[in-house]
Amino acid sequence: MSSNRSKPHGLLAEFHTAADIFEAAMRCRDAGFTQWDVYTPFPIHGMDEAMGLRKSPVGWFTFCGGFTGFFTGMTMIWYMNKFDYPLVVGGKPLFTPLYAFPVSYEMTILLSAFGTLFGMFFLNQLPKFYNPLFKNERFKKSTDDRFFICIEATDPKFGTDATRTFLTEKCHAAVVELVED
Amino acid sequence: MNAISRQTKSWMAVAGVVAAGAVVGLSILPALGADAGHTAHAAQEVARGAASHGAADHGHAAVSVFSLKQIAHSYLTAYMFCLSLCVGSLFLTLAHHLFDAGWSASIRRVTETVASLLFPWMLILALPIIVFAWTGNLHAWFKINPADDHALDVKKVLFNPMAFTVLVPVLITLLGLLARQIRAWSIAQDKDGAAHWTSKSRKLAAGGIFFFAFGVTLLCFLLMKSLQHQFFSTMYGVYYFAGSVWTTLITLYLLTMWLSQPGRPLEKVYFKRQQQDLGVLFFAFTVFYAYIHFSQYFLIWNAALPEETFWYVRREVGSWKWVGMTILFGHFFVPFLILLNQDIKRNMAVMIPVGAWAWLMQYVDMTYNVMPVLHPEGLKLTLWDPIFWIGMSVVLARLFWSDYRKNPAYPLKDPRLQEAIVHHEVPAPGASAAH
Repeated sequence: MSSNRSKPHGLLAEFHTAADIFEAAMRCRDAGFTQWDVYTPFPIHGMDEAMGLRKSPVGWFTFCGGFTGFFTGMTMIWYMNKFDYPLVVGGKPLFTPLYAFPVSYEMTILLSAFGTLFGMFFLNQLPKFYNPLFKNERFKKSTDDRFFICIEATDPKFGTDATRTFLTEKCHAAVVELVED
Repeated sequence: MNAISRQTKSWMAVAGVVAAGAVVGLSILPALGADAGHTAHAAQEVARGAASHGAADHGHAAVSVFSLKQIAHSYLTAYMFCLSLCVGSLFLTLAHHLFDAGWSASIRRVTETVASLLFPWMLILALPIIVFAWTGNLHAWFKINPADDHALDVKKVLFNPMAFTVLVPVLITLLGLLARQIRAWSIAQDKDGAAHWTSKSRKLAAGGIFFFAFGVTLLCFLLMKSLQHQFFSTMYGVYYFAGSVWTTLITLYLLTMWLSQPGRPLEKVYFKRQQQDLGVLFFAFTVFYAYIHFSQYFLIWNAALPEETFWYVRREVGSWKWVGMTILFGHFFVPFLILLNQDIKRNMAVMIPVGAWAWLMQYVDMTYNVMPVLHPEGLKLTLWDPIFWIGMSVVLARLFWSDYRKNPAYPLKDPRLQEAIVHHEVPAPGASAAH
């Protein structure tokens, strides 16, 4: 492991109960931090509001995906059956939205799902192969019985000492340690 | 059963008198001459065979506004609308028990009470339909000899006057008794809080859901689908069911919202989360209804068998085509696009108009099923439509309210009630002492 001093990634605060971290999250929100996140072993109801998160914009990716899928399906069937290779099947019209609907509907669902998944990846900047928190031994307990808040150094309000004091005294964190990049 | 209050008795009397008066008065009106002629005409049509349905439809003479046929069909349309709210409520009650749900515990008394309207009120209101049918004003097959009509002959086990007369009241009564039994156990639990009432209800719901499926399917086959007895659709029952639950959900949404206003009985047990969940379910059934109705249409369109297509062919004549389009866009596309947004489901300025619109759409849907039989040339609204629709709804709403007030407004000691009323109110920014 390199012994060079590197710049800090952020401050990692550890909490022992869901109630503690819930309270702390509201304090971080009210203190005006923007570059921070909460890591818990299980979902905590109301955490979105406690962190002051806006509604996820991922729904727009879903909508655009679905919209594209529906019209792709319709256009594809129109092009193939009415325009490119007109073929009468079962005495039905060459094109009608009726028989194109099941396929367009499937396309709507497929591309909605793609929109949701890849929209979520995009918004979360995934896949991300490295995060300094992965190196932290203590952080491994975030999948077991500990709750963490990490305020990152990129936050405009970040100051190593001031933020450490804030996390210890105002948020009553059990342990606060500096995580390096 | 509980003692019946004086107020309920008076409503019962009014309903009874109205029903009896309508039945007796209308049965002896001298419109029978025209009906006899029509019956002979219908028999001729049938003799021409199934292939000529479309052509035969245009043979009907225009129906007078004051004819018994008009009154009977308007009455049936209103009845099917009201019935959909009752069976939808029964379904939500059964589903609550089947899923052992927590979130809906505090609003369950509302669905239990609406479902209890099935017996005796919906039964009483069904009696005029039976009389209308017997007097030849509703279902053509009451006056057709099965030997003259192959389509009727193969279905005469179900579509014969005796089966109709027995099955319709019996099914409504049994569905009503199912609803009342579950409510009675729920009310018994209000007193002692014992958990065994919940498990009894769950067991009854497990069997009851099968009876519900068969019962509702048979009821809408007999009352509505058999208006054109030649028609085949295995999806018809689930189609009526989907529309019923859709309408019930928005009704429940608006009703519980009103009941949870400050000072009203659900104020402390009903929260935004449940409102959101009801909105989400309403949205889901918007899609489910469209899926079912499209599937019915698409299978018939694709197979192109005359004994099935005639049903939709008749509904593409004249203004019926535009009624169908109204259902396509008004029952599905418009509510679907409005409800796509998550936050809309808690926005009263949107949801109240959507609710009123949904009621109208369900009524239009019932009209689309019933009225083309009477007015093949196109949609024709008469005074009877709003009279029966609004009148029956108001009478039933009044009966609901007097019944609802007799018992606690929510299951007081339901073991799952705590799950329903746990909610997460997070203080707004600045509310915490972060300084």
